Amino acid sequence: MLEYIKGFFELVKGLGITGKHLTKHAVTLQYPEEKDVMPERSRGVVVLLSDKEDGSLNCTSCLLCMKACPTAAIIIDAPRGEDKKKVLKKFELDFSLCCYCGLCEEACNFSALKLTGKYEYSTGNKDDLIWDVHKLQDVGRDVDYVDKRKKKVKKVAPKPTVSEATDEIKPTQSADKIETKPVEIKTDKIKTDKIETPQDKDEKPKTEGEA
Amino acid sequence: MIAVGITVALKEILASFGLSGGLLSVVTYAILASATFGLLSVLALFLVWWERKIAGHMQQRFGPMRNGWHGWYQTLVDGLKLLQKEDVRVATRDKVVFFWAPVMCFIAAFAAYIVIPFGDGLIVADLNIGILYIMAITTFTVISLLMAGWGSNNKYALLGGMRSAAQVVSYEVPMVASILVVVLYAGSLSTVDIVNSQAGNFLNWNIFRVPYGPLAFLTYLVAAIAEANRTPFDLAEAEQELVAGFNIEYSGMKFAMFFLAEFINLFTVSAIAVILFFGGWHGFEFIPSFVWFFLKTFAVVFLLIMIRWTYPRMRVDQLMEFAWKFLVPLTFLNIIIAAIFKHFGWYWEL
Ligand code: SF4
Ligand code: SF4
Repeated sequence: MLEYIKGFFELVKGLGITGKHLTKHAVTLQYPEEKDVMPERSRGVVVLLSDKEDGSLNCTSCLLCMKACPTAAIIIDAPRGEDKKKVLKKFELDFSLCCYCGLCEEACNFSALKLTGKYEYSTGNKDDLIWDVHKLQDVGRDVDYVDKRKKKVKKVAPKPTVSEATDEIKPTQSADKIETKPVEIKTDKIKTDKIETPQDKDEKPKTEGEA
Repeated sequence: MIAVGITVALKEILASFGLSGGLLSVVTYAILASATFGLLSVLALFLVWWERKIAGHMQQRFGPMRNGWHGWYQTLVDGLKLLQKEDVRVATRDKVVFFWAPVMCFIAAFAAYIVIPFGDGLIVADLNIGILYIMAITTFTVISLLMAGWGSNNKYALLGGMRSAAQVVSYEVPMVASILVVVLYAGSLSTVDIVNSQAGNFLNWNIFRVPYGPLAFLTYLVAAIAEANRTPFDLAEAEQELVAGFNIEYSGMKFAMFFLAEFINLFTVSAIAVILFFGGWHGFEFIPSFVWFFLKTFAVVFLLIMIRWTYPRMRVDQLMEFAWKFLVPLTFLNIIIAAIFKHFGWYWEL
């Protein structure tokens, strides 16, 4: 008998718990209207980045990403033109193959490629998952990124320690500053800096995430 | 007390149009039946939506949100969808039984409302055996479930039907026994008399007649959940074991009839609880009586919904054990206690 009475109070306690949850706000989102804010470094759709000033593609057709890609999702066709410079004729990314590993982004030395938090690209036609260079660029237009190419310029600038420190505290502001700095030295020093790039890679995404 | 029943009033109005005799009665009851039918259909639609909303929010979801403000006409759309659906009939069914089972379930669910007073005088017919009539007519539901199980010629359906029969037979006993406590004090089986016996101060409500009142309410509630086939006693449906139980072979409008009947039964058992234990339509005078009735009934419905979405389902043997070994002795004991209190006059009449 006693256990029945005890059991009754346990049941009331159970009602209390569900009642408490009844008053809480729902945790689900009304998807098409409300969208979750994706984390800064989430690995979603891969996009091609454009230069912040002139809007041209950052890609130099070096094919590093194509070689890094474990699923061969990237296909680049870039024959050399008359002036011996590579011309990007075709850049295709097949999202039905892509596994969002992010290796292409790591391989790219020119901040030309980025995995973003975008995710709404499902389609009824499998062929629509192959994006060409224009689509990849258009989708990536509004993506904010830290430009690796110009940062290297900063490293050879007069006061490297100071600028680096500010860089870590206020990444967005410093990024603006860097852009205003002289661009001419750039071509000279890129090759010497190349050895340091692994370090750079470790640092830069972090500051990006904080921003 | 304005004792003008709606039936009497309607009869007078119709009589002024020159109707008389048998035709007058037929027309009167036809009008009342349609009105009740309309009211209950809307109620059932609302209850389905309400239950889904509450269930959703209890699990910290939203429930239906798409159709209208917070999905308020979701059930209407669901109903329309069910209307359009193909009426799939198994070839091996028992034709007559299969067809009549949902109809019977529906009729049984509605017929109880003849004696339920929605407010002061808002009752179709004040039978002097009111509560007994309700007990009898709601039991038809179980026959219809058994018919559905048998007619479907499906093992799950049959199991569901048999389970519900066993369940209702067991729980009918404690249910009647807990109602008997109230009848003992009201001295009548008529629903109107039972409500009027709790008039005046709200301390006259049977729920406040300690100790047998609350106990009778609890036992009634448990038995009522079992009668209405709701979790934790929804063994007749038991999705996880019996797929959908008795209504597994039903589709389209026939399924909708079972479904709506279930929700009307939910309202019925809550309404009876209000009539028996919460003073029916009585409350403060400045609010109309039917508002009181609906407020109280919805409160009980809310409690039942809470219970449904809180507790897991019981096993068949646990269910039977609980009914026969615990509930039946307890309710009988309660009757004896109530009788002693009544005999010695240990109760108040404010
Ligand atoms: S994320 Fe990985 S799989 Fe996708 S394109 Fe880049 S390297 Fe290939
Ligand atoms: S690694 Fe970067 S620069 Fe090189 S081809 Fe790929 S995207 Fe273009």
